[in-house]
This record gives sequence, structure tokens and C-alpha cells, in this order.
Amino acid sequence: MPDEDTIAAVATPPGEGGIGIIRVSGKKAQDIGEKILRHPSGRKITSWPERKVRLGTVISPDRQVIDEVIFFFFKAPRSYTGEDVLEIQAHGGEKNLDLVLSACLAAGARLAEPGEFTKRAFLNGRLDLSQAEAVIDLIRARTELAHRAAQQQLSGQLSAYLAKREEKLLRILAHIEAALDYPEDDIDELDRQTLRQTVALVRKDLAELAAQAEKGRILREAATVVLAGRPNVGKSSLLNRLLGEERAIVTPIPGTTRDFVSEIINFDGLPVRLVDTAGMRTTGDPLEKEGVRRAWQWVKQAELILVVLDSAAGLTEDDYQLLEKVKNRPFFVVLNKSDLPPRLTADILAERFPELTVLTVSAVTGEGVDELRRRIRQQLVGKDFGEHPVLVTRLRHKTALEKAGQFLKNVEEGLENNLSEDLLAIDLRAALEALGEITGRTVSEEIINAIFSQFCVGK
Amino acid sequence: MARRERVYDVIVIGAGHAGCEAAHVTAKMGLRTLLLTLNFNNIAFMPCNPSVGGPGKSHLVREVDALGGLIGRVTDLTHLQVRALNTQKGPAVRALRAQVDKRRYQEVMQSILEKEPLIELKQGEVVSLLRKNNSWRVGLSTGIVFEAPAVILAPGTFLRGRVHIGLNNFSSGPQGQQPAIALPQQLEKEGIKFRRFKTGTPARLRRRSLNFSVMKEQPGEITAHGFSFWLPWQPRRPPVSCWLTYTTEKTHEIIRANLHRAALYCGAIKGVGTRYCPSLEGKVVNFPHRERHQVFIEPESEGTDEVYASGLSTSLPEEIQELFIPTVPGLENAEIVRPGYAIEYDVIDPEQLTLSLQFKELPGLFSAGQINGTSGYEEAAAQGIMAGINAGLYLKGEDPFFLRRDEAYIGVMLDDLITKELDEPYRIMTSRAEFRLSLRQDNADLRLAEYGYRYKLLSEEEYSRFLARKAKINEMIKTLEKTAIDPDSERALLFSSKTGVPVKQKITLKAALQNPDVTYDLLREIFDELPEGVGESEVVENQIKYHGYLARETKMAERLKKMEEKKIPEGFDYNQVPNLSFVAREKLTAVAPRTLGQASRINGVGPADLAALLIWLDKKRK
Repeated sequence: MPDEDTIAAVATPPGEGGIGIIRVSGKKAQDIGEKILRHPSGRKITSWPERKVRLGTVISPDRQVIDEVIFFFFKAPRSYTGEDVLEIQAHGGEKNLDLVLSACLAAGARLAEPGEFTKRAFLNGRLDLSQAEAVIDLIRARTELAHRAAQQQLSGQLSAYLAKREEKLLRILAHIEAALDYPEDDIDELDRQTLRQTVALVRKDLAELAAQAEKGRILREAATVVLAGRPNVGKSSLLNRLLGEERAIVTPIPGTTRDFVSEIINFDGLPVRLVDTAGMRTTGDPLEKEGVRRAWQWVKQAELILVVLDSAAGLTEDDYQLLEKVKNRPFFVVLNKSDLPPRLTADILAERFPELTVLTVSAVTGEGVDELRRRIRQQLVGKDFGEHPVLVTRLRHKTALEKAGQFLKNVEEGLENNLSEDLLAIDLRAALEALGEITGRTVSEEIINAIFSQFCVGK
Repeated sequence: MARRERVYDVIVIGAGHAGCEAAHVTAKMGLRTLLLTLNFNNIAFMPCNPSVGGPGKSHLVREVDALGGLIGRVTDLTHLQVRALNTQKGPAVRALRAQVDKRRYQEVMQSILEKEPLIELKQGEVVSLLRKNNSWRVGLSTGIVFEAPAVILAPGTFLRGRVHIGLNNFSSGPQGQQPAIALPQQLEKEGIKFRRFKTGTPARLRRRSLNFSVMKEQPGEITAHGFSFWLPWQPRRPPVSCWLTYTTEKTHEIIRANLHRAALYCGAIKGVGTRYCPSLEGKVVNFPHRERHQVFIEPESEGTDEVYASGLSTSLPEEIQELFIPTVPGLENAEIVRPGYAIEYDVIDPEQLTLSLQFKELPGLFSAGQINGTSGYEEAAAQGIMAGINAGLYLKGEDPFFLRRDEAYIGVMLDDLITKELDEPYRIMTSRAEFRLSLRQDNADLRLAEYGYRYKLLSEEEYSRFLARKAKINEMIKTLEKTAIDPDSERALLFSSKTGVPVKQKITLKAALQNPDVTYDLLREIFDELPEGVGESEVVENQIKYHGYLARETKMAERLKKMEEKKIPEGFDYNQVPNLSFVAREKLTAVAPRTLGQASRINGVGPADLAALLIWLDKKRK
């Protein structure tokens, strides 16, 4: 329903795509744009002409550039929803879109519910029937898909993990509610100190879970590791070595890999998408040129870049250019061909560029490859990966967990400050409702059951 | 003598707590009303606790009173004691509970109804109910037939009532009264569907046979106000006490040993019971580790030596009741005046009703009270007043009267009844209200008195008093806003010494009142420009102190309101809406929600269904 909130969501279907659209609708749409969008030059954007295609960059709350985008601004009522709408076309890939969306949320938007844009559009009379029905079909398909995915996820550890915490909160809420509704019955006094500790523990668990969301996403979608380098440094051979099979076509002719080759492998339970790219060099061949362009796109999305250098050949102009371009991204230098007499060694590199992480391998003999695997894994998920029993993998879940945490914080403060029970119940209920967005449990139905199963009340 | 004309505007069947309110309202609305009762001695009879109020219930009573109903007034006039509950647990849940003189309650209610010129009270058993030419014909067992375009059913637990005492069971209404057997058969012929519910009541004991010296006295209080906004409050002095004692291990042993003889546990009762008024055997079975359960001895009336043994509700045989009752300290020599019993009765599935309590398929037929699956006098009274108002509006051809969930507990209850599936008798609880902090008992008149006046249920005099109260509240808030405390002033020093709150910079009294340690009364001791008013200062304090939480509820309520403004036409065919899920289609058809908001609360109706519905409705409008 149209209301005061400004909502945001990714408007394009999930999955990989060239571009993805993030839509922001509501009174604060322009305000949010001003907070997160900059001119490519870095200047603030001050004018917001309607319906003009503009180029810009999205910045995160800590002022890091997230993506280069084009965006449009639609003034109410001439927009999809009939409200002020900001539409951002960013590069595809869930990770990137999540980051842009997160920036919108941090700037004051609320995550839209399924179908909420369409509802607003409808209430403001902005959709004709055929359009609207098509959208609804899509929403239905998507929510069912999402529902199925959620069900699958919830049948597992996440649901068990959250259910235990929900249970603890529900017990406290039932205790409060029973005492409120049955003041003349025999119900033990609330021990505020113990309650505060329980709530604090639950809050800590939820915060840790939310903090794991990025790792969870990697686990769900696979982290992308890109092999980059000029032609014929042995990227495809290295890919094959890492895969343990002949996947990429290897020839001694430079430029054999015209497009990219990608394969998902399992690093001890961690899915990693390894991408072999076309060799990066300046070229006149149109086909190869396209391959190079795509290679750069992969580099942009990668969680880790392996800059492959030929130790037998030494550094070339193309190598320098590549290193320059990736220097603000996570990358390792992989010195390949250690089986040949070296012209370039790790020591030489370390002397010239002390900040580089350099690994020496031979794709032909396999020397150093195990160490490379170990380092890749460590870089992607850290050393303590796997210690937390459960992972959340969706931004929606993370948002819900953070919301629940905020309400629980209110409860703790309320317990400390002697806030009355009816007010404590408001925040406890809100926290449970936020968790219910993940688990699908409805508080109003469960609370009364909990009261009567825990307490012998009524005369 | 000329034969009297037997045509009325409204016929109310049943003169319990729902029927009395309903008849009172239709008469106030200027409609000729016939109020039928099975037994003229039993008008507004309380077959269970002689008690009114408690959290949630107290809120309902104040809401009915704010609308112009009777339960609050009659309780105030006939109470034996009143207690203020939850005084320390927050403004949302503060409540009153009164013990009333059961006999006086009936007398006072009867005399109020007898004073209404448009009400005719009559004893008679309804044996037929037929619709003919937009009018209902109500036939009595004596052969007489009355006629009215609107009928309100309020038969309580009498429909095919069956009382169980141990393995004995017999056809009966509550407390030995005559059941109604023919009426439900007639209603079935009209297509109304019934199910069985069950409730119970404890033994009544003789006061002089009890030993109060080993019990804990539960004295009443002299509270600042009673239930009614309209009567001058005259608390009883001194209040009559209740007494508290406990069951023992021995009690539980006897019950466990005889469970096979309890109607509830041997399969004799098929009706669904409630968790809200559990039987003692239920408590012993479900909470085996509890060493004792509370027993309250409550006075029934000053005109009798009978007392109510609250907490000992049972379906065990009378001889077992004779065995376990003396194991309770103070009840060693108790004489049983009437044994406890369980009663099964017919209720309708409220899905058959609209929110105005009218049968969807039977125009002019309304239903209120325990027949709709609720328990409690307060719940019955609230439905009675709503059914009465809506029957009146129906006859005048006006739009029905609804209350939203954010407006009143009455709205919460009716929405729950119609929208959610009932699997046990429904009792109101504050935890059912999502807007609990807004629906306080101190502001019930501010929420509802305008409606009461609109439907002529409040007199001009009452309404002008209401307006004066509203004006005073505004004046209080204004004074708080414009009066400030200057640091270092004499008043600031006085303020700090009284409250322990330092004044570091100039603050308004409104800001000062937000501090938990500051009360309006305390401020008034220093700032004599603040107007006086006990009932008003409570409202003002709550509004200011809990502003943040109230604002959150208001925001939530606005969202709900928009959903409630999206109306779904009557008789809407959900099969024509593409994209509705199968479950949603079935549930929507069964409940036939009035608004999109109501639809959203039905189990099994998801966001995509609501969007599909919204789009279709919009298309129809164009």
C-alpha cells in the first residue's frame, strides 16, 4: 500500500545478467540518489532532470566506489509507481546488485516486499490491466520460487538454528503476556536480570549470523576467481591443473582462448567458479577484441584475481598495465612456468613491489598448486570459515536479522531501565515478527498457544 | 379485549448479556423491540463467576459503556468489590475487576430494560423461526407467532444444552434451566451450520460451612473510578472480601484416581473445551508438577449464603466432588449447595456471519454472544451492542457499523471471530490486540463516544459531558506545552527536590512529564495553573509518556487503514480472479472478507494473492 516508506529492490530477475536494475520508489528517492550517486568525476549530483539518462557511480556508505551505472529519475506522478522513482542500471551479478541495494537501504530505503511496487503502481493508477496481470504472474512465479528456495533452506540448519532462538524469545514473551492477561493467577515474577542475559545472548547470535551473510552468499553462489594475464602465460594450463582435468583448450598459439572458459570446482566444500579469460593484449582482431572486453568484465566481478605472469619471459608492458588495473582489487600474482629457467622470480618482484602476494607454480609439473589452492580458499572465506554452524545467504535474511537485533536491543535497554511489561512486549513481538520474515512463523498465532502450554492460567 | 398486534421492528431471542444490550440499543434507536426469554426470572443471569472485568474484558466493558451500553453501568451499581489490576505493568494492560452481586445485577438490568418504553419483555420458548416476505415469523411453544423484519439470536449456551456431572448427563440449560431444543432444529432448516463447544463451572458452597481463618483475605480497593464513564462512581464501603486458598497434593491424588469418571476424560463429552477456563482435572493432568492450584472463594450475592469456588471447575461426579473439596484448606466441612458440572452446547461457525453479525445468507437475521463461539459476559455484551446497532441500521437502510482493529477491542474480537478459524471458545485477551497501547481503558470514550452519540445511545447530557472532558484534556496538554521550568528558579528547585530530576536547562512541563519519575499530580503540586482532573490526567500522562510507542502503533494503523479502505463487494466471486492460488480462493470464498485488510489476515492468503485481488477489484471499478 502506498505509505510514507521509500522502498527499494532489485527489479530484474535473479541470476547472472549483463545489467540489473535497482528501483527506488517513494518520497525519499531523490534524497537517496543524492546520498549514493556521484558524477563519474566524483562530484555530487545536484540537478535531477526527469527521465534523462545519466552516467554515474554508486558509492557505499564508507565512500568506496561500488559500480559505474546509468540512472534515471522519474518525478511523481509520471513514474512506474506514481511516486518519485530512481532507477539505477548497474552491472549484473547478484553480488554487485546486492551492494548497490545495500547502499540504497543504508541511505534510508526499506526493502520492498514482493509485489509492493506493483501494488503502489496500482493504487496510484499507473498500470493498465494487461501490464499489471503480467507483472502479477511474474511476482507469483518469483515468490513461489523464492518460497521453494526458502523452504529448502529452512528445512536445514538455518531453520533449526533460528527456531531455537525464536523459542527462547517466545517463552519470554509468553511469560510476560501470561502475567499481563492473568494478573491474579500464580505466575512467577519476571527475573529481569536473567531475561536481559537471555535476550543479549540471542541478539549476539543473530548479529553473528548476519555478519556471516557475505560468506553465506559465496557458499550459495560460488565465489568467482578469474585468471588474467597476457596471452600464452599459461592461464588455461593452470586452470586445467586446478580443475584436475583437460577443460580448456591448450595450444602454444597465443590468443587460443577467444572467449572465456568457466568451471565450478569444489575447494573442500567451498564452491569456486574459476574463469579462464582471453589473454589481455592490445589487438586488432575483432573477435579477440570482444574476448578481451569480456575478460575485463570478469575481472570487475571477481572476488579474487589471479594475475598470471610468465617467469621465463619477464615483465612486459601488457603485464604492467594489467597490474595497474587490478591494483585496487583483491589479487595474487601467480608466477607460472617454474619448471623453466626463470628470468623473473618472486624475490625480484618482492623487491620491486613489496605489497604484492606472489606465488610460484608450475602448471606443467603441478609444483606450488596445492599452496595456491590453500591461499585462494583462505583469501575467500578466511581461516575460521566453517566454525559458525549456520549461514544466511540472502540480503533479505540479513536485513531481517538486523531488524530483530535492533528490537532486542530496545528490550535489553527497557529491562535495564525498568520499562513496563506492556512496552517490553511491543519490542519482543516486533523482534519475533522480524525473524518470522525468515522462518514464516506468525507471532500472533503462536503467542496464545505458548501462554497456555507454559502456564496454568484461568479459573 | 382487543388482540394485541404481534408485529415488531426487532425481536431479540434470549435475555442474557448479549440479548439485553441488543434490545436496549434497538429501543434507543427508536425501534419497537420484543425481548424474549425462556424464563423471566433469569434475565441477565450469570451462570458462572459473579465477576466482571479483568485485562481485555475490562477494556470491552469500558468500550461498550463508551458506546452507551449497559454492562459497565450495571456493574458499577451492583459491585461488591473492585480491584485495580496490573497497576505497575504499564498503561496498556491496566484493568478493573469487579465482584458483583449476582441477584442485584439481574434486578438492576431488568429495571433498566423495563423503563425503556419501546422494549416489551416476555417469557416464552421459541420453537419456530421462518422467513416470509422479508419478515421473520417467530413462533412460541404456546402457539403464538410474532413477526419482525429483524431478529437477533442471543440464546447463549442453551441450544441443545447437555449437562455432564460425572458419567451422568442430561438435556439441560445452565444451572438447571430449561434448554432450547426446537430452535436449533429450526435454524438448521434455514441452512445454519452448528458445532459443539463445551464449558464448565465449579461447585457452589455454603458460606457458613467454610473456615475463612486459614484462607488469605482478598479485600477490595477503593478505586479512583469504576467502569462507567457516565455514572458518578460510588465505590462500596467497605467492600466485600474474597478469599484465597489452594488445592493440595491430596486433592490432586483423588482427581487422578477418578479421572475415568470425569466426563471430560472418559469420552462422554465430544464438544471442544477452552483453555481459558480449564477444569481442575485438566489442570492436574496438563501441569502434573504443580503442587497446588489457586481457589478463590467469591461471594455470589448479599441475598444468599451461597459462594462460588473459583478454580474448582469440574466434570467429576458429585460424590467425588464431595471427596476432593474437603482436601482444600478451609473447605474441610464445606457443604455443596450445587455441584460443579460441564455443559455442551451448540454454537454456529461464525464464518456464516458478516462483520455486522448478520447471517450472510439470511438477511435480517443477526447473531450475538456465546452462540457465536465466545465465552464470557463481556464478550457477549460487546457483540450484543454491535448486533443491536447493526440490526437498527439494517432496518433504516443505512451502512453497517464496524470498528477496526486499531479502534477497539470490539473490532479485534469481531475480526478474529469472522476471519480466523475458531477451535475453542473465544476469550478476549490483551495479547490479541496488536494496537494494545492505543486501545487503553482510560481512552475508550475518546475512541468511541462519538459513535455512541451518532446512534443516539448516549443522551445529549452525556455527550456534552464527554465534550467537556475532551476539552479539559486538550487544555491540560496545552498548559503542559506552554509552561516551562527555568533552571535555578524556585519552582525548579521544588521540582528537583520532589522528583529527584535535576533541571539543567529550560524545559517545558510536557518534556518533564516524559521522565518516568514525574507524574501529572506531582507537577500539579508545584504548578497550580495545571487543571485538575483524575480521569483526564491519566489520559494525558499516557499520551505524553508513551508518545514514541504510540506513534509506532499509529504508523502501523495507517497502513492497516489503507488496506481496510479497499472494499470487496458483497457476494464477490473469487473464481473470476486469475492468479489466485487454490487455497486462497477457497478461504476467501468461505470467509467473504469485507475489505482487503480483512483478506490479508486470513490464513493461506499470501501477498501475491492480495496483489492479484487488488488488480482485479481495480479493473472492476473502471
